[in-house]
Amino acid sequence: MDFTVNILALGIPFSVALLLASLGEMFNQRAGVFNLGCEGIMAMGAFLGMLVPYGAGHGAPVPGTFNVLGLLLAMAVGALLGLLFGLAVVTFRAPQGIAGIGLQMFGVGTAGTLFRHFVGGTQSVPGIDRLPIPVLSDIPFIGPVLFSHNPLVYLTFLLVPAAWYILFRTPWGLRVRASGANPRAADSVGIRVNLVRFQALAVGGALAGLAGAYLSLCQVKMFSDEIIAGRGFIAVALVYFGHWRPLKITGGALLFSFAQALQLAIQGQGIDFPYEFAVMLPYALVIVVLAFSRESLLLGPTALGKPFNREMRT
Amino acid sequence: MKKKMTYLFCAVLMLGIALAGFRPNAAEAAGGAVKIALIIESTVDDKGWCQAMHDGILQAQKELPGRIEYSYSEKMKPVDAGSAVLQYVSQGYHIIIGHGAQYKNLMLEMAEEYPDVTFAFGTSAEIGPENVFTYMPQSEETGYLSGLIAGMTTKKNTVGLVGPVDGGDAARYNRGFVLGVQAVNPKAKIMVAHTGSFADFVKAGEVAETQIKAGADVLTGSSQQALGALRAVADHRDAPIWWVGQDIAQIRITEGYKCIAASSYNYGAVIVSLVAKLDAGVRGGECIPLNFSNGGFVFAFNETLKNMYTGAVEQKVNETLEKFLATPDTLDWSAVDYSKL
Repeated sequence: MDFTVNILALGIPFSVALLLASLGEMFNQRAGVFNLGCEGIMAMGAFLGMLVPYGAGHGAPVPGTFNVLGLLLAMAVGALLGLLFGLAVVTFRAPQGIAGIGLQMFGVGTAGTLFRHFVGGTQSVPGIDRLPIPVLSDIPFIGPVLFSHNPLVYLTFLLVPAAWYILFRTPWGLRVRASGANPRAADSVGIRVNLVRFQALAVGGALAGLAGAYLSLCQVKMFSDEIIAGRGFIAVALVYFGHWRPLKITGGALLFSFAQALQLAIQGQGIDFPYEFAVMLPYALVIVVLAFSRESLLLGPTALGKPFNREMRT
Repeated sequence: MKKKMTYLFCAVLMLGIALAGFRPNAAEAAGGAVKIALIIESTVDDKGWCQAMHDGILQAQKELPGRIEYSYSEKMKPVDAGSAVLQYVSQGYHIIIGHGAQYKNLMLEMAEEYPDVTFAFGTSAEIGPENVFTYMPQSEETGYLSGLIAGMTTKKNTVGLVGPVDGGDAARYNRGFVLGVQAVNPKAKIMVAHTGSFADFVKAGEVAETQIKAGADVLTGSSQQALGALRAVADHRDAPIWWVGQDIAQIRITEGYKCIAASSYNYGAVIVSLVAKLDAGVRGGECIPLNFSNGGFVFAFNETLKNMYTGAVEQKVNETLEKFLATPDTLDWSAVDYSKL
């Protein structure tokens, strides 16, 4: 029982950075742009998220306002980087894959350089502590699993239905989906496709920035150049895994994170199983699910990756 | 006029190339300044593996005033490091250190191409060619001390170990830790998990949190990723959950209030030894071990946590240290089998 509770209680916070970044990437891809630079934006978010509280307290506790400012700065710069990416791939119609790799390198490199300049070596911050919800957190099984987390964990899971509602029940969500599914038809009914793509990239960038800040302010409470360690790419894969739908993406992020928590727990039990395979388990799981998904479900928005030029007839 | 300018330009260019190709060899370094270049995959302030070597070289500079000139290249992936090595070779560096087993092939290739330059890499127990030194921390000794402390400190009889990969000095440290715990507390449960990375301290934090949830109350970890695990321990501010470190720097950082004790590599001893060997005309073909006996390791308790170790723990650690100083390399670390824990 304890073993199961631990796996579930750990898997949920592990999933948050992936979930935030994946939801952001979902908006990008739904609008027709896939952003491989997610990793770079997350790195910038991680650095800027911790920079504000670190600058205010140099490692000592600071009022919570500074943590919130850190999160907001990470989101703002994430949105700006999303717009910068839009400039390259929407306005100048650069190949999205190459531009994404460029953004990834730019973000990781810039975050590392700025970190060395403003902070120096690896430093920690008090960050944002867990906030067990009174009464609810005391309920057996459910309490530790669902109600004993960091405030950002609760907010992230509230964001999932919000993302679903925005995407499928609002006019803007419809414009985003139309821009990714059939931009020419969208354009013909007056939707400004490129503007919508810029908006989606800003939203995606802000969420990726927040995902990075979650790692540096909530999960590990420090920054180093390697903090993202490929999570941005996993987030992109989870969008395919979740078939561009918020609930399925959440399922994918949770599955990945529970698998991660499970493999860490299994390793600790001294079972005679090569740890290299255990470490691989969550990644292998994603590949297996993708491999067995129906092909039609993996096609994604029809215009994904294709620049839109209203002057061209095709 | 234009023709003369072209000839002049070519002559200057050729002179430049010739001068760039001029390399003082190791023999010229004897007694004079030894130029040492360090190539690392992380940074010199990572509070772990790379910083230990950087600090060691700086310490050796202090111990041998005027004898060592030093440069370093950070964040060098093995595929990129070749160009840095060539730069250092062309600038006349006498010793080029690739700090990590991942640089082995590069160092061996370069050593063959530039026989006048001394190369070094580690961790490795191999004996290289005559212009290549290897170094190998016998870190089962530091792990053993950490294990003694953990085994005697744990109240829940459960300890956790956050490893990067099961190889090199990390494997020795981890197995030494297991031997140490078992020596003082055979009934203790030892949870061993690897992150699969030297640098992913988010995952190291996740491993530590998993182990804490499963009951571990004293944890340790090796390489720079261990900082994430220490951070996870420090998050349990008021709980009796403790850390034993593999870098003394961990005692001095914000999270140090959880670190009962730590051992560090003292690469200063390796560097001083390298310079002495170069002076004596030995340019490679040896593996330099690091252990307590040759000053390659240092150990310190966290004085602010005196109540955690005063008495039996301190006595046991001091006795063991004395044993290591007298007779190094005695622990059979390779016999440890994690599946039997």
